[in-house]
Amino acid sequence: MDSEDTPQIITHIEHNINHCLFDCKWIPCSAKFVVIGSLPKGSGTLEIFEINSGELKKIKEIERPNSFKCGTFGASSDIERRLATGDFKGTLEIWDLEKSSQVYITKEHTDIINSIDGMGGNSLNCGAPEIVTGSRDGTVKVWDPRQRGKPVANMQPVQGETRRDCWTVAFGNSFNDAERIVIAGYDNGDLKMFDLRTMSLRWECNLKNGVCYTEFDRKDIPMNKLVATTLEGKFHVFDLRTQNPSKGFAQVLDNSSKSGTIWVARHVPQNRDIFITCAGNGQVSLWKYEYPEKRCHLDSQGVAVGVPGKLKRLQRMMISSQPINSLEWNRDHLGLSIATSYDQYVRVLVTTKLNLQ
Amino acid sequence: MDKAFEIQKHARDNVKTLQTYLTDLQNWEIEMKRKEAALNDEFVQDLPPVRSKARKEKPVQVKNKPEKRITGLDYSAWDKFDVNKACEEVDMADLGPVSLDSKKSQAAKTEKLKEEAQYEKERGNNFVKQEKWDEAISCYNRAIELVKDDAIYYANRGLCYLKKDSLHQAETDCTEALRLDPTYVKALQRRATARERLGSLRAASHDLAAVLAIEPHNAAARRQLEAIRARMGTKGAKSKSSPLSTPTVESKPVLPPKSSKIVELPAEPVKKELTPLEKWLNGVGENITVIRPVKKPPHLRSKRALKHVTIHEIPLGTNKTDDKPPTRMKIIEVNDNASHGDTNNNNANNKIVDTIPSCDGDKIKIGDNVKAGDNGKIGTSTNYTVQNMVPPVNSVQFMSEWKYLKGNDRARSDYLSIIEPTKLPSIFENALESDVLSELLYTLCNNKEKFRNKISAYLKAICKVKRFSALAMFLTNSDKNLLNDMLSHCKAVENLTDSEIADLINKYEL
Repeated sequence: MDSEDTPQIITHIEHNINHCLFDCKWIPCSAKFVVIGSLPKGSGTLEIFEINSGELKKIKEIERPNSFKCGTFGASSDIERRLATGDFKGTLEIWDLEKSSQVYITKEHTDIINSIDGMGGNSLNCGAPEIVTGSRDGTVKVWDPRQRGKPVANMQPVQGETRRDCWTVAFGNSFNDAERIVIAGYDNGDLKMFDLRTMSLRWECNLKNGVCYTEFDRKDIPMNKLVATTLEGKFHVFDLRTQNPSKGFAQVLDNSSKSGTIWVARHVPQNRDIFITCAGNGQVSLWKYEYPEKRCHLDSQGVAVGVPGKLKRLQRMMISSQPINSLEWNRDHLGLSIATSYDQYVRVLVTTKLNLQ
Repeated sequence: MDKAFEIQKHARDNVKTLQTYLTDLQNWEIEMKRKEAALNDEFVQDLPPVRSKARKEKPVQVKNKPEKRITGLDYSAWDKFDVNKACEEVDMADLGPVSLDSKKSQAAKTEKLKEEAQYEKERGNNFVKQEKWDEAISCYNRAIELVKDDAIYYANRGLCYLKKDSLHQAETDCTEALRLDPTYVKALQRRATARERLGSLRAASHDLAAVLAIEPHNAAARRQLEAIRARMGTKGAKSKSSPLSTPTVESKPVLPPKSSKIVELPAEPVKKELTPLEKWLNGVGENITVIRPVKKPPHLRSKRALKHVTIHEIPLGTNKTDDKPPTRMKIIEVNDNASHGDTNNNNANNKIVDTIPSCDGDKIKIGDNVKAGDNGKIGTSTNYTVQNMVPPVNSVQFMSEWKYLKGNDRARSDYLSIIEPTKLPSIFENALESDVLSELLYTLCNNKEKFRNKISAYLKAICKVKRFSALAMFLTNSDKNLLNDMLSHCKAVENLTDSEIADLINKYEL
């Protein structure tokens, strides 16, 4: 039975859009959000909605010939609020949504951009504004909106090796101007951590199933935790504070929910130990990571080894009949989130009592 | 009962929380809309540089520091050194790095300008290849506007003017280029051509003489000089050369330039009655060879590294030598690419060790060398062995030696083999031309056993030369055949892995 403090997940608004949806993002400093999708004829759409006393109001729609796949506001300041998008043809575009025009366009990827992440737009002393894209062509590229046409870093398999489909990318560890890490998950279960300061592969491991989504609990602190979700209903949480030369990072695996692919895992911006996972059966689950008493201990050789914590499920809720393919928490309002799903609905979700956890 | 009541209470609580949450949400909506409207663009971010640029700035700073340092031996510089100012600077640096910042950006700016100018130059060069002189000139104009102190842009524009028969402009451009870089051979040759066609033969011949002083093996310059001399002869010119670049001054005493001195050397010495001192200086009647200091102005001196010459002490006095110093080997500097300097030293060495012939033989040797240089053919190069060669440190040295060894594959391969493969990129910088590349490949391919297990190292090093990707595009079919041949050799003999081979194939665009 639920205790008093158990959070509730409630679908606040449900809005049907008659085409396929891939991603949704809050427009910073506003009650508006962008929904990224594609029409049956193969063209891409960016739609802007505003929450208006319990209703969704469509403000603007942009249609382009190529389907969009993903988007981020991360590399843009709250004033400019420029959306970076990746599409099915491998084009990276940055949009001025006010004017409905692109301010940056480049096509260096040869296939669909599956995942995009941005950072540095707002946070001071946390490095340059940069965008990272991961594509089916097997490359991960890092872009700076101030440098036209060419990526500032490009991570690809050495020639002759098979190019794995990169499904997810994310920034992290960007706690000063120099440090920054890109994490990339691939369809064969590879998880690779690239250090952008030293331009080297810092760590890699294989999670056995294709990695669908990965996120650091915070981007702008020395890396603390990482969640990576995979096919077959599993997800891993890594403690990144202690890297053992032989064993790598301590991890805890959850495969308790038989819910199919876990498409997304997102940390609550106001509480980095709570995150939500969105599964292929339309269920969302709220998790809390509980730290062990000591996060690292010394092994027999005197080398530090990380100690994994425990995962506690706070709540779960079936909100859709189809996989939920994206979810984003609102930065400014605790417990407010939007999610898109393959049942062609965009939902505004409300989670209560998060402040009590 | 209690339980049912509890559940009911719980549900009611939940609804209540949700209700308050939704009111909060409503308030938040209104708040956000107000906030959003208040947003304006007065927001300047202090962002760190783009990743790729960030790395570039560091080396610039590092480079600046050693330049400032004055060596302990440089007394004149210390005389100029303003102690008070330096102290002030140190104080300022403690206060804050304000001045440093501006300097940094200044350096970045000039760097950018240079890049831009280099781009214009590349475009200009392309136009030159297509013989579109006017377009090329406008490109060089822009490059010169951006960077005023690069001799190359002037010299190239000079060439375009030359092709367009704007001879006066060509001459001014070349003069400007030479002001910036007095040893710029191409500019000298172009000015000579311009002057020749303008009719100032003496000035032209002087330029050519200067060319020959820098590059004694430059056959084209030599031919041109001879042609001009012939013309001057028919016109009845009085003196063959004047030391001054201006053709108007004739009354000054003439010092024959270097090249003519070389030419006249063999005829000079024999008949004259020598004073004892001169005899002693020339080492007449002794089993030794006298090595003379080579006098050259600093800017004409060899840029090649000084060569180590082992001096063998030998007991003198087998002849009637009493009051002579025990050894008179004086080596000031190993002469540039001038064959006589080099071979002379080595001949001398050999002869002293072997204690063979008299100085007469030696003289003949000198004569031979000069003759060889005269014809522009390399007669002596067959004797040219690895010991005589010095690895180059820049492309100018390499090219002069390489040209000098033209037609002698064995010597060329010897020369190439003494160059450390890893040094190739730093030697060539961005001055590797496609014809030279072809010759390099040819030499490598035809001397596989000489380079033994090093061919792959050379091939890899060549890939690292700047602008190599552009050169790779111009590889001819025969070059590619050579490369394929070498790669299969590398695979078979040097045990290169498949991925390395694939990488090379990719780089060479095979």
